[in-house]
Amino acid sequence: MDFYNIIFFLFALITIVSAFIVVTSRNIIYSGFSLLFTFFGVAGIYVLLGSDFIAVVQIMVYVGGILILILFGVMLTNKIVDVEIRTGASHMLPAAIGVGILFGALTAVMVFTGWKSEPGLVPQTTTVDIGKLLITDYVLIFELLAMLLLVALIGAATIARREKE
Amino acid sequence: MTNLYQSILLILPEIVVSSVLIILVLSDLIFHKDKRVIPFIAGLGIIVTGAFVINQFGITGFAFQTSSQTVRNYGMMAIDSFGVFFKLIVTASSLLILFFSHASNEIQKTKDRLGEYYALIFGMILGMFFMISATDMILIYLSMEMMSLSSYVLAGFTKLRDRSSEASLKYLIYGAVSSGLMLFGISIVYGMTGSTNLYVINSLIQAPQINLFALSFAIVLIFAGIGYKISSAPFHFWTPDVYEGAPITITAFLSVASKAAGFALLIRFIKTTFVSYIDSNGSWTLINVFDWKPILIGISILTMTLGNFSALWQDNLKRMLAYSSIAHAGYLLLGLVVFSNQGLIAILIYFIVYLLMNLGAFLIVMLVANKTGSEEIDDYNGLGYTSPLLAVSFAIFLISLTGLPPTAGFIGKLYLFIALVDAKMIFVAVIALLNSVVSLYYYIRVLKHMYLVKPTESTATVVPSLNNRILVLALAAPVLIFGIYFAPIVDLAKNCLVILGL
Repeated sequence: MDFYNIIFFLFALITIVSAFIVVTSRNIIYSGFSLLFTFFGVAGIYVLLGSDFIAVVQIMVYVGGILILILFGVMLTNKIVDVEIRTGASHMLPAAIGVGILFGALTAVMVFTGWKSEPGLVPQTTTVDIGKLLITDYVLIFELLAMLLLVALIGAATIARREKE
Repeated sequence: MTNLYQSILLILPEIVVSSVLIILVLSDLIFHKDKRVIPFIAGLGIIVTGAFVINQFGITGFAFQTSSQTVRNYGMMAIDSFGVFFKLIVTASSLLILFFSHASNEIQKTKDRLGEYYALIFGMILGMFFMISATDMILIYLSMEMMSLSSYVLAGFTKLRDRSSEASLKYLIYGAVSSGLMLFGISIVYGMTGSTNLYVINSLIQAPQINLFALSFAIVLIFAGIGYKISSAPFHFWTPDVYEGAPITITAFLSVASKAAGFALLIRFIKTTFVSYIDSNGSWTLINVFDWKPILIGISILTMTLGNFSALWQDNLKRMLAYSSIAHAGYLLLGLVVFSNQGLIAILIYFIVYLLMNLGAFLIVMLVANKTGSEEIDDYNGLGYTSPLLAVSFAIFLISLTGLPPTAGFIGKLYLFIALVDAKMIFVAVIALLNSVVSLYYYIRVLKHMYLVKPTESTATVVPSLNNRILVLALAAPVLIFGIYFAPIVDLAKNCLVILGL
């Protein structure tokens, strides 16, 4: 096992273990903090794959932004901190069968598919190319994303506003 | 990027919708005190959009072609008459929904949030327009999110009702799961072909080294996302709760426009990705990688049977119409199962008819609910004697939804069944026919309550305003007229078959 593989499995382990804690923990604060490690592990895997831009965005947006928001949301909502979250399981057998089939199918897909691969070197940095693509080939996507964010903002404001009886 | 200027000319309707959205947000700030002007801006915006859409009739072309040298150049969007048809359906239903909103007490009560309401409706329209034309998986996903995000909020717009918030949350959770599944499917297809463009994928999946199991798995996942939007069988669970809880204008909008956009997306997705050629009779030959036919037949039979049988026990009319709209999604899928231009014509005709009769039925339910505050079937007892105009129109819409002559619903079903019989799928046609018979029970049950129960003191007398009477007649008259003189809609459908292909 070479160095690269060791690092990969380290990050994978961090991601999976912390994700497991996120869904099983009964305390929402613990879940929130475990999510931090999940995001961090995923960012590490992005770095290993050579996609530096996405890795940085992952840290800045998810860890730096969304996670902090979640934690603040939890802290500011005074009742939620000591709410016991029910993490019980129901319908174990059908769920296990469903998840088992899905897992089997996914594993088969991952192992037996001949994924398309392009010859060539991994670029030194991806940021410049992503930037160029966003304002040339994918300019429509970029502009539509802007509209999507606007709609999301309006929607959030609508939901957050207090309704007068 | 090779054709930015031409592309912008091709997406003028979408640009207009975006501009109106921004104008609405701004005018919500400017006319802070008095918001009466906002509905008029929205209505004007819809009409201008419609004009631009009609102006596009007959124009074909790819917008936003990529500059990649290795693959042939296809765009992110295909502008064609098929797209124009569905955009017209969306525009027409949006215009009607604006009138409904003006007449709805529920919406008018939330006066200080009207600007947001109309802005979000335009957000939905923008998403639908892009869904209808998208030929690139990134754009497909993004436009579906655009539409969904707006509709999640709109479903919970009347916040004082618990059911409304419940509807919104359920819609959000189911929607998030289905778009997650869809995204996963897209990523598998991208991993196999190295492209997100449907035309490129079409040529690449014909290569022998494609793993058919992985491809089928990905297609099932992608179908989960689209099936959720058209509320077809295994993904329909959200429909009754959301339709019942959402404000009735939004329910009507979701049941027609959102479904139309979903169907346009599904048809374009299957046609561009999986059809290898169309022969002179207009029947489509599929690439031999994924057997759509039995799967779609199964789903459509399941969808209509579940929808119709669940509708039998509903006492809330909104919920009943929700199940009936699930059943209609099943009938519409039958038109696709045929895989021919004839089936496509049937779908287009059915959509024109469905737009009129379904919106009409929701309008009546809304006008009655304005007066009585409920949608329970018992509140319709004796309504035929106290409010004749509404009851007669409601009867027309319900008979049309069943598919009986002399209404337009009959014409819609007739073309579907002819397409099925011509494709030698008599067995499926018989099942669909039996389903229509089942649906007769719950539609006629409403008529029984309206006419065969004598009115009491508690029976509401609904006298709609002049505007609303015109609106009801404007929907009921075409349902009758198109039932007898249906040449115009058939001609329109026949002129809208161009889906840009290889």
